[in-house]
Amino acid sequence: MSPAIGALAPRETGKDTILRARARAALIPDLLVEAQRISNNVFAGWHGRKKRGVGENFWQFRPYTVGENMNAIDWRKSARDDHIYVKDREWQAAHTIWLWVDESPSMLFKSDLARVSKQSRALVLAFAMAELLARSGERVGWLGVTQPIASRTASEKLAEALILSEPQDRFPIADAIKDNSDIIIFSDFLDDMDNTEDRLRSFARRGANCHLVHIIDPVEETFPYAGRVEFIDPETNERFTAGNARGLAENYTNLFAARNKSLRDLATKLGWSYVAHHTDRLASEALVTLHEYLGANRQSSQQGRH
Amino acid sequence: MFGLPLAFGAPAVLFALLALPIIWYLLRLTPPKPQQEIFPPTRILATLLKRDETPAQSPWWLTLLRLTLAALAILAMSLPLWNPEEATLSGDGPITLIIDDGWASGQNWDERKQSAAKLINEARDADRLVSIIRTTAADESTSGPANAEDALKVIDALVNRAIEPDHAATAKALSDMSNPGTIIFFSDGLAHENTDELATAIGRVEGQKFIYQPETRNLVAMTKISNDPDALRGQLNRVNADDELVLDLTAYDIKGIPIARQTVNFASGENQTDFQLEEPVELRNEITRIAVAQSNNPGAVQLLDESNRRRLVGIISGEKRDLSQPLLSPLYYITRALEPFSDIREADNANVTLAVPDLINQGVSAIVLADVGLIPEETVDIFQEWIEKGGMLVRFAGPRMAASHEQTLLPVRIRQGDRNLGSALSWEAPKPVANFETTSPFYGLQPPKEVLVTRQILALQELSLEGKTWASLEDGTPLVTAEQRGNGWIVLFHVSSDATWSNLPISGTFVEMLRRVVNQSKSNSSGVLNPEQDIRLPALNILDGQGNLSAPSASVKPLVLSKGIEPTATAENPPGFYGTEDGFTALNLFSKGEQLTALDINAFSSDMIQSTYQSQQAIELKPWLLLGAALLLFLDCLAVLWISGALRMRPSPQLARSLILPLAVAASLLFSPTDTFAQDSDFDFSAALKTRLAYVITGDSEVDRKSAAGMLGLTRFLTTRTALEPGPPIGLDIAEDELAFYSLIYWPVHSGSALPSAKTMARIDTYMKQGGSVLFDTQDQISGSFGGTASSPAARQLQAILSVLDIPPLEPVPSDHVLTKSFFLLDSFPGRYAGGELWVEAFTGAAALADRPARAGDGVSSILITSNDMAGAWAIDDAGRSLYSTIPPDPVQRTYAFRVGVNLMMYALTGNYKADQVHIPALLERLGQ
Repeated sequence: MSPAIGALAPRETGKDTILRARARAALIPDLLVEAQRISNNVFAGWHGRKKRGVGENFWQFRPYTVGENMNAIDWRKSARDDHIYVKDREWQAAHTIWLWVDESPSMLFKSDLARVSKQSRALVLAFAMAELLARSGERVGWLGVTQPIASRTASEKLAEALILSEPQDRFPIADAIKDNSDIIIFSDFLDDMDNTEDRLRSFARRGANCHLVHIIDPVEETFPYAGRVEFIDPETNERFTAGNARGLAENYTNLFAARNKSLRDLATKLGWSYVAHHTDRLASEALVTLHEYLGANRQSSQQGRH
Repeated sequence: MFGLPLAFGAPAVLFALLALPIIWYLLRLTPPKPQQEIFPPTRILATLLKRDETPAQSPWWLTLLRLTLAALAILAMSLPLWNPEEATLSGDGPITLIIDDGWASGQNWDERKQSAAKLINEARDADRLVSIIRTTAADESTSGPANAEDALKVIDALVNRAIEPDHAATAKALSDMSNPGTIIFFSDGLAHENTDELATAIGRVEGQKFIYQPETRNLVAMTKISNDPDALRGQLNRVNADDELVLDLTAYDIKGIPIARQTVNFASGENQTDFQLEEPVELRNEITRIAVAQSNNPGAVQLLDESNRRRLVGIISGEKRDLSQPLLSPLYYITRALEPFSDIREADNANVTLAVPDLINQGVSAIVLADVGLIPEETVDIFQEWIEKGGMLVRFAGPRMAASHEQTLLPVRIRQGDRNLGSALSWEAPKPVANFETTSPFYGLQPPKEVLVTRQILALQELSLEGKTWASLEDGTPLVTAEQRGNGWIVLFHVSSDATWSNLPISGTFVEMLRRVVNQSKSNSSGVLNPEQDIRLPALNILDGQGNLSAPSASVKPLVLSKGIEPTATAENPPGFYGTEDGFTALNLFSKGEQLTALDINAFSSDMIQSTYQSQQAIELKPWLLLGAALLLFLDCLAVLWISGALRMRPSPQLARSLILPLAVAASLLFSPTDTFAQDSDFDFSAALKTRLAYVITGDSEVDRKSAAGMLGLTRFLTTRTALEPGPPIGLDIAEDELAFYSLIYWPVHSGSALPSAKTMARIDTYMKQGGSVLFDTQDQISGSFGGTASSPAARQLQAILSVLDIPPLEPVPSDHVLTKSFFLLDSFPGRYAGGELWVEAFTGAAALADRPARAGDGVSSILITSNDMAGAWAIDDAGRSLYSTIPPDPVQRTYAFRVGVNLMMYALTGNYKADQVHIPALLERLGQ
């Protein structure tokens, strides 16, 4: 008998995944979350937003207009001529981004074709995102584990918190989510589809902007099984015996593709982004795609403001 | 059973076959275990097919496979037998087995024993007594009547013997038996002497009678072996001439190593066929045994002893041997010429009277008398008797024979005195040998054109002279004459056996002529003087019943050779070798062309039941059935694996990796020769990419340093003065390094260094032949130059080196040689010393044309020799200072030395191009420009 194609990998914690995540993150340029809907009163971040606002760095001098706060007048500049100038500073703002990694038993699955288990890959992606975002001064939080942290070492802190917390095997509740936050969800979305959709819609109702990262083991998509196979569901231990697995392949792959499509449609409908990531591909690929989605429209928004 | 020759040892087990339906039922219920796979999206799969897919039953073919397996196992356990033995004997009373255990039974002895054992087993079951009579030893071996158990043991131990059965004695033994009972005659299929007596004796016995006859298709006997001069001949006889028969003969030497093979064909209907082994006589002489490969009987084997071997040649000279000058001995050339193909016995005794009988008693085939003039009368008689019996006397002329009046023991009558050709007092020139006549044994040999006869003995003209002449000179006078006397020959060479009368003895043809002469002699009838008393030879090796040589058993008696009695093979003296390792006599079953006769069944009484030996044995089917069951089990395993999907390939990175690694290893192995080549050719690459000066590393550090410095100096000079910019110079290990990259190699010859090995010299030779040039420098002009009469150690070393090279003629560089003009115009070639010549290959082409300023052959002289120590003149240190002063200390000489170096290099690189360059004015003129 040949060995089974897939097996459950041990659950990975933050310790070494964070190192791998750093390595991946080091390859990606700094990420500034697109700040279309960010209001002025959010927490200050580190990176200038290329417009005036609250911040520490000088932005511009401009003539004082009546009605402005007198405290804003730069007297040193104004003393040089007859005009009164106001010193504007560059707006430095941070954004809150929530991460969440599904750690249900099905995520521990790793097949021969994959390099790592789904959970391992998801953690690496999440930490790499945390690293990237923290580097840009964003506030990063882990749904159900910690509040958003604004720190250069946010990823370590997240990892620490994660080690201490229970495994996240249920979809989180949207309580902590404030308006305009971004949420990145790493999951295989193998739970009951209706349940998942309900929960995601609840995020949408709180005004969050979600990015769904669908982690897929290649075996789940290609279904390379043949002959008499007894399939075991790692979550429920349910068994299902197929007399001729090869015969099921076509129907199954169609069904799986349809499921993915419905998930993608849902994301599109809600205005979210959806990334399907296979564990036999490089983690950086998903990271780059996420980077694109998060930093999207930045160029156009700048132009729009100025 | 069921009309088939099938029986079961344990039929009760067959009832287990009734259990097959139960097994079938159980097998249908137990499906093979599925492969277990963890699969997260199982839920999706579950929605796909709600129905439980587990098959309740195995596939029908798997069930069938397993049922067959079970049935086979049960059948195997019931011990089935194919061809079970059936009873032959009936009735009761004692039985008598008459077994032909002679040579002809060796062919299928085991079948006979099995048949006998089967009959005795039947007798045992019926409680009958058994007598056994062996026809080769009927009088002594009648072992009965005994009970069957003992008879079985006798049969078990019975081996056939390599002798003729004695049917007369058998008949007598049978008649003597009081109650033979049932007679069973195991015949060997041949009629022997007195077989009819046996038939009569058997006919007289009351009771059941059986006669067993073997298949005689392959039964052959070998006889009449003779080692003739041109081939070893023999004859094969057979009894069953029904169809064609192809047999392989193998000849073995004394160690049992096959040295010759031959295929022999019996045409259909032919009872006998001749064969001949045409191996070289040296090889034939080694043969001690010839056997028919397909035949296991001793009759198909012939043993050869020394009488079939290479000839012994005795040599007697009339001259006292002068050991201090062996080349002048008259026997020297004869000995050398005879050695390759015969054994030489030289007379121990200078006295011819004693020496001749002594040699004859040693069994020589031929005796060579070199210039023996006078033969004592009694010796003449001994010679004549010996020649009559087949001896060959070869005589050489010489001063003594020319001086004697003796005319006995000569093929022709000769004139006294000799004829002198080409001397100061003769008008005639030395005569060459004429072509050999077709009647001569020398016919086919090329007459040696270089042989000239200056003196010879002349024969008196007789009518028979021409018939006796084997070879003659061009003027028709005989050179070799011969006469047959009885079985033997007398041969006379009309020249002496040394090189004084002719140069025939030092020609290669002489060897061939002597070989043919000696081959003409009889090998085995050379008339060993019959011993006065009997000789008893102990058995050395005898033939067993299968035709193999084996150690003699205790019952074998020594062979007695009596005067006039030819020994024959008997029970006491079976065929084999008798004597000692050093000298033995072969005793064969057949030697005179005996014919084989088939057994005439009509001679026996008509109530005999004919049968053949049991060749079909009962076959136990159990192992085969078990093997089949095992195969089915294997198939079943495969099927289970296939059902569970384990046999299907699927792409996986691990698999790919596990494939890639061996592939990579294989690829690296495949291409590793290239790799290793790349490794050790770093050297070659650098050598090939840049022209470099090369010198030979002699092993003497002083010389090598000088060579390196000299090459460096010349390299610098070339770089500054010419378009040639050589790479850094290189020292070559001529034994190892590839030489092909260098157009000129500087080789300082140094007396202290070891001579290069033959392999190395072969490399040098190849290099030179392929266009490379070697500049040998003895560096010793000061102490004794090359080409002078005095030879210095270095010059001797050079001679030793050159002695193994294929060197063309050399000459000092002529004034119009292209070397004098290849870059600078030079008229001498000085190095550190100025006096030595530079030697090059002699230009062998057309004579120099006066109006040509230079000449050159095609290509470059492969060898250049100087003694001027060129490297010493060129040697500089890193700062460019000269290391050695020139002798005499003249700076101009060093400049010239460098110019010589440049010319040499240009010559080596451009060949005769420069010669053409200096012709340019002439060429242009011819073109009319």
